[in-house]
Amino acid sequence: MPGTAGDPLAYLATRPSPSAPRPYDFPDFRRERLPNGLTLISAHLPGRPLLAAQLLVRGDAGGGATSEPAELAGTTVLAARAMTEGTAQRDALALIEASERLGAGIAADAGWESLTVSLEVPRSRFLAALALFAEVALTPAFPADEVERLRDERLNDLLQARAEPRRRVERIYPETIYADGAPYGRPLAGSETTVPRIDRDVVVARHAALMRPDAATMVIAGDLSGIDVAREVERVFAGWTAPAGVGPAGGRPSPARPGGRRIVVADRPGSRQSELRIGHVALARRTPDFHAASILNATLGGLFSSRLNDLLREQRGYTYGVHSGFDMRRHPGPFTVRCAVRTDITVPAIVDILGELERIRASEVTDAELSLARDYLAGVFPLRFETAAAVAGAIAGLVIHELPDDELDRYRPAIAAVTAADVLAAARAHVRPAEASIVLVGDAASVEEPLRAAGLGEVTVLSALPEAEAAG
Amino acid sequence: MTTTDAGRSRLRFHRRTLPNGLRVVVAPDSLAPVVAINLWYDVGSRHEVPGKTGFAHLFEHFMFQGSRNVAKAEHMAIVQAAGGVNNATTFFDRTNYFETLPSHQLEVGLWLEADRMATLLDALSQENLDNQREVVKNEKRQSYDNRPYGTFYENLMAAVFPQGHPYHHTPIGSMEDLDAASPADVIDFFRAWYAPNNCVLTIAGDVDVEPAFAAVERWFGPIPANPALRRLPYAPVEPIIGGEVRKVIEDAVPMTRVHVGWRTPPFGTPAFDALEVGMQILAGGEGSRLHRRLVREERLGQDVTAFVLPLVAGASILAGWVTVRPGEDPDAAERIYLEECERLTREPVTEDELLRARALIESSELAARSRMEEVADRLSMYETYFGRAELIDEMLDRLLAVDAEAILAAARAVFRPDNRAIVTYVPAEPAEAA
Repeated sequence: MPGTAGDPLAYLATRPSPSAPRPYDFPDFRRERLPNGLTLISAHLPGRPLLAAQLLVRGDAGGGATSEPAELAGTTVLAARAMTEGTAQRDALALIEASERLGAGIAADAGWESLTVSLEVPRSRFLAALALFAEVALTPAFPADEVERLRDERLNDLLQARAEPRRRVERIYPETIYADGAPYGRPLAGSETTVPRIDRDVVVARHAALMRPDAATMVIAGDLSGIDVAREVERVFAGWTAPAGVGPAGGRPSPARPGGRRIVVADRPGSRQSELRIGHVALARRTPDFHAASILNATLGGLFSSRLNDLLREQRGYTYGVHSGFDMRRHPGPFTVRCAVRTDITVPAIVDILGELERIRASEVTDAELSLARDYLAGVFPLRFETAAAVAGAIAGLVIHELPDDELDRYRPAIAAVTAADVLAAARAHVRPAEASIVLVGDAASVEEPLRAAGLGEVTVLSALPEAEAAG
Repeated sequence: MTTTDAGRSRLRFHRRTLPNGLRVVVAPDSLAPVVAINLWYDVGSRHEVPGKTGFAHLFEHFMFQGSRNVAKAEHMAIVQAAGGVNNATTFFDRTNYFETLPSHQLEVGLWLEADRMATLLDALSQENLDNQREVVKNEKRQSYDNRPYGTFYENLMAAVFPQGHPYHHTPIGSMEDLDAASPADVIDFFRAWYAPNNCVLTIAGDVDVEPAFAAVERWFGPIPANPALRRLPYAPVEPIIGGEVRKVIEDAVPMTRVHVGWRTPPFGTPAFDALEVGMQILAGGEGSRLHRRLVREERLGQDVTAFVLPLVAGASILAGWVTVRPGEDPDAAERIYLEECERLTREPVTEDELLRARALIESSELAARSRMEEVADRLSMYETYFGRAELIDEMLDRLLAVDAEAILAAARAVFRPDNRAIVTYVPAEPAEAA
């Protein structure tokens, strides 16, 4: 303590211990089925006056982009985004203004596995906002003119994505690892070829097919004291009934591209960095070793002091940061290492990354690595759910992936139970460097020859000209 | 406690100053078992001297490279092992360091911050300097140089503030200056600016007030003040640019983007408050004037924005841009953009526009209030800049009280042709195919 050894700062040598942790449980939530078949889940969070709601159509009922036809890729996203462009009762601007007067955020979007309409609003204005929310969900007008505007904006966005190295590589990488025609290999919001085919009729049909109460779940979180949620939701969705017959088919799985490793260089002449992606098709969210895979990834490339970041950033100074991740979806999603490295050390960086992917499969992680990853994942768990929107989002995740209601309660004990042997087994099953593709956007004139000389596999170079990739 | 229509409560907090000058704010909130620790050092890129741009930010990186009792790379590992997240950012006027932890790990976070405030130089080495210099140069390449329009910020600040003014350059600095950094520079920078009497420390979250203050005293109390601490005066600056500055840059961009900047009064003034609300009305959302006109009606713009930066040293900047759709006329897009800015100087905004702006501002305030990291950061900011953590509530009151007359007056002082910089990025001619 202060004063010892004559150095007033000697006390800093004694690291404090944490006090006793305060218990934390993921908030309780209630599930009920309304008369029209809509599932309602509500989580009362005292002291959270900003309420969050999500109305989502499940993936098994076709509610995501994986169930749309390949030639109309982007339809589900466009249909969702066009929902806020006006309703039967008011045009786009009147709708926006009504929402702004309530201080409400109403948005609609789609992912691979779901279509979601979301709301955030202070509780004092919840009832008025809920009525507007239902109007958007059930009676969007899809004005042809606004659909056309969104379509043009998406095509312009594709131009911008080509100019941005990070977005360009994220476009090429899935095409490289998934088989032709696989939904996950396509751009979620559609391509230069498919987007021009999407018109009002396509969007109207998609919305009509998806929005049925028996396939939908409404999640509401926040301080719900004094609000009869079930009654209010039932009231605004009263006229919503399921059409006769079964709904649309569920999403299609996305097979990996056969044949193993591919190396693709998308040329960006003069690029100062190589924007790099290395990986392969890996895991679905419902994998039984989810928790071991989470620890595995934290150790490999999830944490700041992960093996990859420590080597490439802190030891080598090659990059501002490197991360790895499993993108777990309803069907197997990608495992990917992501980083941007200085052009001249592109090949050494790739060799380092592949080396770490081999090493994590070769032997068990150390006790120190295991406890760091476990303590981190268990410790940040309550930090993830400070807001009502975060709680609603987590519950929506359970719905989308058809996980049990106690999945989040089981999270921390399951993380704590993961052993080094579990991690090694997960690494050997789900990290496969031999078949990992290597995709980069960078200066081909600088990196192509060193890449070929490194003997990592056959190298394909995509030209810098705009049309080259779009043709693929 | 008072409550507004949107359900906002007044924030409860306590403030003390330690004998060594460290200002401490504690805001208890037990909704979640989470605590945010947040330190604002009153030093940023405006404190840099010519030839040493980018140093405040390079220095920020050193704060993660270990100190007397923390090994290299151990800082982040300790925070993560505690189940926490942390980061730091460097801005023109300040540098902030922050961690959010499970609340029982409060002292671990305080110890880490105290150790680097007190003993950072014990861990300084040429090797660490060389490594972090490379990391920062990669950050510059990744976030600025290698991105379309990535250099607009540098260009706009350089156009709105004159050579020699501290806002003329941005916090990322120049590659040449970073290359010239020596260990002696790092030592000088630390000794000049990193001391308890140049810092505000905020703790927000699941803590008891007295034990929290006691813990801060235990870990920070013995750290000596810097008796020679300087308060860098604000560099003199004219209220307006004094002319129109134009720059056209050919770059690897797919669409023309017109960036516009105006010099404004600084953050903290009533005129700045009025501009903030004015920007909500001008470009704050889909219902805003610029979005409505350029994106929806005329369909010249792919996206449009306008915002004020919260700079305090005598002046600030209002900036924005419109990305012009391919095939549309960039001059027309620019003309309409400027027309809408100037309309704010001629006719008052409507009551409905004000009502919508206020509702949106209030909701975004509620969102910020629900995250302890954000609460702590705002308390530190208001205490550092203005010595008034109370502004966390007062600022919202002030914004909600801004009326049409105030916006008109503030807009008239700013939106003048002799007070704007226009930096236009145009697509370069495509290179010949290889």
